[in-house]
Amino acid sequence: MGEVIFEARNATYRYPSGPDTPAVAAVSLSIESGELVAIVGPNGSGKTTLLRLMLGTVEPTGGEVLAFGRRATEWKRRDLAQRIGVVSQREEAAFPLRVRQAVLFGRYPHLGPLEAPGANDVAAVDRALERCDVAHLSDRWIATLSGGEWQRVRVARALAQEPQALALDEATASLDIRHEMELFELTAQLVKENKLAGVLVTHHVNLAARFADRLVVMYRGAARAIGSPADVLTGDVLEEVFQWPVAMTEWDGVPQFVALRRLGGEEGEGDND
Amino acid sequence: MLLRNLTIPAVMATVLLACESREQQGEGSLVDDTGHHVSLARPPTRIVSLAPGHTELLFAIGAGDRVVGRTRWCDYPPAVDAIPSVGDGLNPNVESILARNPDLVVFYASPSNEPAIARLEQLGIATVSMLTDDLADFIRAADLLGTLTSEKDRSDSLIGWLQHEVSTFEATRSTETLPTVLMVAWDNPPIVIGSTSFLSQIVELAGARNAFADVDRPSLTVSIETIVERDADLVLIASDSGIPAWAERPEWRVVPAVRDRRFVVVTGTEFSRPSFRAPDAIRRVRTVLQEWQQR
Amino acid sequence: MTRWIGLVAAAIAALLIGVAVGPADLTLGAVGDALLGRGNDATVAIVRDLRLPRALLAFVVGGSLAVTGAALQALVRNPLADPYLLGLSGGAGLGAVAAIVFKVGGMWAVPLAALGGALLAIALVYRLALVSGAVLDARVLLLSGVVVGAFAASLMGAIMAISPAPEVRNALLWLLGGFDAASWSALGVFSVYAAVPLVVIYRQNRPLDLLSLGEEPAAFLGADVERLKRVLYVAASLLTAAAVSVSGIIGFVGLVVPHAIRLLWGHLHRSLLPAAFLLGGVLLVVADAIARTAFAPLSLPVGVVTALIGVPVFVLLVRRWAK
Repeated sequence: MGEVIFEARNATYRYPSGPDTPAVAAVSLSIESGELVAIVGPNGSGKTTLLRLMLGTVEPTGGEVLAFGRRATEWKRRDLAQRIGVVSQREEAAFPLRVRQAVLFGRYPHLGPLEAPGANDVAAVDRALERCDVAHLSDRWIATLSGGEWQRVRVARALAQEPQALALDEATASLDIRHEMELFELTAQLVKENKLAGVLVTHHVNLAARFADRLVVMYRGAARAIGSPADVLTGDVLEEVFQWPVAMTEWDGVPQFVALRRLGGEEGEGDND
Repeated sequence: MLLRNLTIPAVMATVLLACESREQQGEGSLVDDTGHHVSLARPPTRIVSLAPGHTELLFAIGAGDRVVGRTRWCDYPPAVDAIPSVGDGLNPNVESILARNPDLVVFYASPSNEPAIARLEQLGIATVSMLTDDLADFIRAADLLGTLTSEKDRSDSLIGWLQHEVSTFEATRSTETLPTVLMVAWDNPPIVIGSTSFLSQIVELAGARNAFADVDRPSLTVSIETIVERDADLVLIASDSGIPAWAERPEWRVVPAVRDRRFVVVTGTEFSRPSFRAPDAIRRVRTVLQEWQQR
Repeated sequence: MTRWIGLVAAAIAALLIGVAVGPADLTLGAVGDALLGRGNDATVAIVRDLRLPRALLAFVVGGSLAVTGAALQALVRNPLADPYLLGLSGGAGLGAVAAIVFKVGGMWAVPLAALGGALLAIALVYRLALVSGAVLDARVLLLSGVVVGAFAASLMGAIMAISPAPEVRNALLWLLGGFDAASWSALGVFSVYAAVPLVVIYRQNRPLDLLSLGEEPAAFLGADVERLKRVLYVAASLLTAAAVSVSGIIGFVGLVVPHAIRLLWGHLHRSLLPAAFLLGGVLLVVADAIARTAFAPLSLPVGVVTALIGVPVFVLLVRRWAK
């Protein structure tokens, strides 16, 4: 599709005082611009750690992780912030901010310490607000926003950075269906429109499958499967990784799973022992 | 102007009247400076003194042989070195005092001594608390301690002599304009000596005027510009370490007497507390003042 | 824009008050003449060599304390932080008390000892805060500051317990803070020294904004968080150490002024820091003028006046927050 933005080569991470099994075990993966990749897996499978390796906030203990062709940890934060916009699950600002100012923070990586925001900064903010459908909220205090609105504002902030990559870390975990869908739609569109490299860490396997170009299924630190949803989302893989019986179905040509009830309930196709 | 002329008579009055109030109380009823009645069955033979002024006084009236404990700050006469120290005089260590097995403990009158006094009184040990801030205090203390230690003849005679000396000084003060003297206790914040301080009394009796004679307290925190405004003729330093370091500092050199280095220095413990050496002290100040005036 | 003009006007007015007001009873005319060098020697000396450098020094120290307070509040993400939470006031006090009680000679003995004590405390707190790894954790920093401060205070108490009463009183009075040591040379030394950390802190005005979002979001928006924390901590500490060594421990300025500015101006550090500097300067010059003059010839410790002003202001601020 485009140039390689993120590349992990046998990346491994062990916690210094942690258990013997590594948090991330020899993962090799590359993400190109214009594609949306979703990293899924149960808790503790290493998905967030893998993202942190790619964002350069954690140094791999084995192998290497590159961002934009350089070791992720070698980047200066300011330079990396000009290239990658990150939206995490939850964020609390310590002081009251208006939406416009919050999005303006996205321009900070491009501003010198004493430089005032210029016309192009204001324009970038306006575009981001428009694109994320929060322009009508620009003068509101962020404390008055709903969860979904605040999340979209943070996506706008990431967009205002004019990045080449977008990373969302469980960004929809606390949202209701409508806001979750909106966020996935927005992310997918932004990736396509701006040819960004998109990385999503999420619990919601089914949604990830419908929006992402590729899935990375993590299990105990290793990448159990990497590929298109159709290739990767099978009952065997899901049952192994999530340790729960599932039935597979389809929506829009994309595999979807249904978790089966164990006790006193239905029996579905493909329930293995 | 009027204030200046009033301070000496005020001092004189308190000094000369210091004994009268006691006589009016009558024998057998000795009250110390905290209003506490001092009762002793017989004259004390083991005295612990908790202030340098009291220690010196006890020796002066001839009771030094009965002093068995003193503070670490007691320094005069030289004989005190042979006497064991019981530590600090303020809020003292009661155990150390008890270790000397006293029958009279002489305190400096201060609220911080109340716990120790109460403790000793509970144990049946007599205590007496006296101030030693100025000459009048000193004379009162001399009279009381003289009575308590059965050295009344000696103390009466010394007190009489001291009062006579003080009167003589007052009478022989120069009638010309008196030089104004600045006395600084501390530099940051600036603390000046006021009229009720013993040092101020000495200086006034020696024939000078305290630049802060209008301050009715032993000391006062002021700003340097107030000191500049007073425009003292000279600065009196009562210290063993000579001219202090702060005299070199730029903000102090705005004070004319400091800038022009009009300092007179006197050393010795007779300047830091009232005692029977006070006439010596006054004489020495008088001498340096005359020397300065003749420059 | 009008707010800035107002604040600058207040600053100028405060400095004028600092020069015109004082225990020495001088008319405005006399002060004006003295500024130009005319009039009798004593008046000129009082105005030009005492009041003017003192007002300017109080201004610069007040501004520095306010900026330090703002930076530290952002650093530890705690609105109750003030310049003295990091233990250095204990170290400075210990140095000064030791110099006073042990009668260390030299005219700069006390300020230098205070500075030395403060620097030692800074190093100790920093070292303690690194114990949990190479990360300056804000909570560990706060705790270390409290511990080091308490330790220094107890040592100070021990020294004072074995010292003669006058020395103890002198040391305590010094600690309460004041500008009696102000002179043109003190002003010059402090200003040159303070300019560096002030500039360093101001250059971090954007990362300071980002820090309020949390350390991780700040990093993702370009802040080098570890370096930022180190730089801020060192700059703030050095600045406070200098202020304490020149004028003792003056409270409330660093705590209250940043909050007052936030209420009036907002939270962005690009304007918060300079505005806090100006307001802190105004507050301290006026407080010093009051301390010197209200009960003339008695001179109050300036820390008492800042507390008397600061406490009701603080109450007002808290009530405003509560709404």
